[in-house]
Amino acid sequence: MNQFKQMFLMHLKMTFREKQAWFWGLFFPVILMLIFMSIFADSDDEFEASVAVVEENPNEVSTAIYDQIEVIPVLNVDHQLESQSEAEQLIIDQEVTAAIVLPQTDEDSDVLLMVNAEDEQSTTTQVVSGVLSNIVQQMNLQVVGASETYAVDFQTVTTGEHELSYQDFLLTGLIALAVAQGGLFGMIDLVDMRRKGLIKRLRMTPVNMSLFGLSDMMMRLLFSVIQIFVLALIGVFLFNATLHINVLGLVVLFLVGALSFNAIGYFISSFSKTTEAYMGVANIFSFLMMFLSGIFFPVEMMPEWLHPVAHVLPLTYFAEGLRDTMVYSIGIESSAIWFHIGVMALWGVVAYIIGSWLYRRKSIVATR
Amino acid sequence: MRVLEVNHLKKSFGAVQAVKDVSFQVEQGEVFTIIGPNGAGKTTTLEMIEGLVPPDQGDIKFGELNWKKNGDAIKKKIGVQPQLSAMFDLLTPSEHLQLFASFYDKNRPEEEILKTVNLTEHKDKQVRNLSGGQRQRLAIGLAMIGDPEIIFLDEPTTGLDPQARRNLWDIILRLKRLDKTIILTTHYMDEAEQLSDRVCIIDQGEIVTIDQPDALIKRLTVEREVRLSFLEHEEAAINSEKVLTELSVVSRIDRDSTQLKIWTEDPEYTLLELFNYTKQQNYQVDQISIREMSLEDVFIEFTGKEWRD
Repeated sequence: MNQFKQMFLMHLKMTFREKQAWFWGLFFPVILMLIFMSIFADSDDEFEASVAVVEENPNEVSTAIYDQIEVIPVLNVDHQLESQSEAEQLIIDQEVTAAIVLPQTDEDSDVLLMVNAEDEQSTTTQVVSGVLSNIVQQMNLQVVGASETYAVDFQTVTTGEHELSYQDFLLTGLIALAVAQGGLFGMIDLVDMRRKGLIKRLRMTPVNMSLFGLSDMMMRLLFSVIQIFVLALIGVFLFNATLHINVLGLVVLFLVGALSFNAIGYFISSFSKTTEAYMGVANIFSFLMMFLSGIFFPVEMMPEWLHPVAHVLPLTYFAEGLRDTMVYSIGIESSAIWFHIGVMALWGVVAYIIGSWLYRRKSIVATR
Repeated sequence: MRVLEVNHLKKSFGAVQAVKDVSFQVEQGEVFTIIGPNGAGKTTTLEMIEGLVPPDQGDIKFGELNWKKNGDAIKKKIGVQPQLSAMFDLLTPSEHLQLFASFYDKNRPEEEILKTVNLTEHKDKQVRNLSGGQRQRLAIGLAMIGDPEIIFLDEPTTGLDPQARRNLWDIILRLKRLDKTIILTTHYMDEAEQLSDRVCIIDQGEIVTIDQPDALIKRLTVEREVRLSFLEHEEAAINSEKVLTELSVVSRIDRDSTQLKIWTEDPEYTLLELFNYTKQQNYQVDQISIREMSLEDVFIEFTGKEWRD
């Protein structure tokens, strides 16, 4: 027991004193989060277009249309003008996206939409013209005294009880990434210890090597828990992420995930003779996963042909699982969670088996 | 009491026969030194005994224990300081000792070890900030923390300054007084001569000879080298040389201006004759010395190789 305590203390002190561990484990994910949150977190604001309305000669029809325009949230009426030429100038100066010229008399039923020629094909123009057509259409219906036969109902659908905002999406993705990288890069110690002859040195003593490995693993899990806490706190308090955590689900998923990524790191260490070789392989794997596993943007946004890759990588399932347990409060009663856990466990077990087979085959310890 | 017995060890690495046939026994409380040129098979022999490298042939017994059946029991009885001792750069000597202490059932107190290897002042410095000598001393400390009965020291003083070397000799002699058995390899002949109860010379994977250092030196030819120089001109040296050549005990004389090097079987008689002559001629002798035979001469005699430090 004292042996385990001493080993754990040793790993704790070494991790604490290793600046690289802090940088890659905490500082780097936090920076990534700050950058991505700042860039993308505001982009889901509502669509708005500023328009100018030209009412040269107020009349019944023009007032009716104007009232309709004002209540539509996407159209911000920034300027009320009386001449078309003023509106033209505003459009040229790009002060407004579009100008709407209302009918001059009761009999005139035409509404004119003016936009900058550069923007003719832009989304904003499409939207404004769509909205405007809709208003005119309504007016037409009113005039003939008909009611709408067909209407579009709007409804949102999500997989869970709670909606996933980009903040929540990115936060859970980054936590998954941080834990995964901790495992993936963490085993560099093993390569370094072997290269320096520390493993050989330890084997000259009656040390219990499996206890040594276990204490190392405990230390890593502890570090990952710290990562989760720090990232979650920053996400929640700085960027208003909303978390609904299913604790049991999260703990199970986290344990299997962290162990699996450590096993992958162990596998890489089994065939890497130098720390440089290790870093190379770990980096390739890490980059692949970072961009193909739905960390910064959803997998669905990627081209179709890349989807199979995403559906093989373990980080996809870890990130998905963390979203389920941390945002949707889905627990171990859900089969989806067990599917995520299963895929990760498969990776972990296969990586561990091949890794230890390679270690045995080369009997690394005897290398001089 | 015999604590270690090594019989007919053999080990090859590919086509290279590193150890051809090595057998010896070590008694409790002995300082047993293995010397030999680089690549003679010292470290390989040691690593086989320490259980790091399995021998191709031969057996190793620690009393009744052997590596196949009692690996853990042997590890508890031995302490090893490897030639290049790996350590945790981010841990301090004190932390190293605590960690290694936890591996063993019994320990020597941490403060005692720190004091013995002279690291008390540096016990809270991270290892990456220690000097080569300090690291080396920590490595020796780690070999002692489990209170072992047999301590293996592989070139413990290589790279140490003369003062640190002396300190280490004290450590080794202190361990010997505690009735520990010490198996040592070294590059320094004076060290082997000073510390060892017995010396084992290995060359090309084979034992050349094993004996007490004094006995080995005595086994060399009785001829000794006497050096002297005269205050006067060369004439004194030339004339003395003529007189000495006539003595039957003198086998060879080298003269360099006023200096003479005389090889003789009987230094006492040779000098007596010489002084009689110089007194008669009133020559003044400036310096005189009789060179002691050292282990280095033994080494050269047995291996036919110059000693390289």
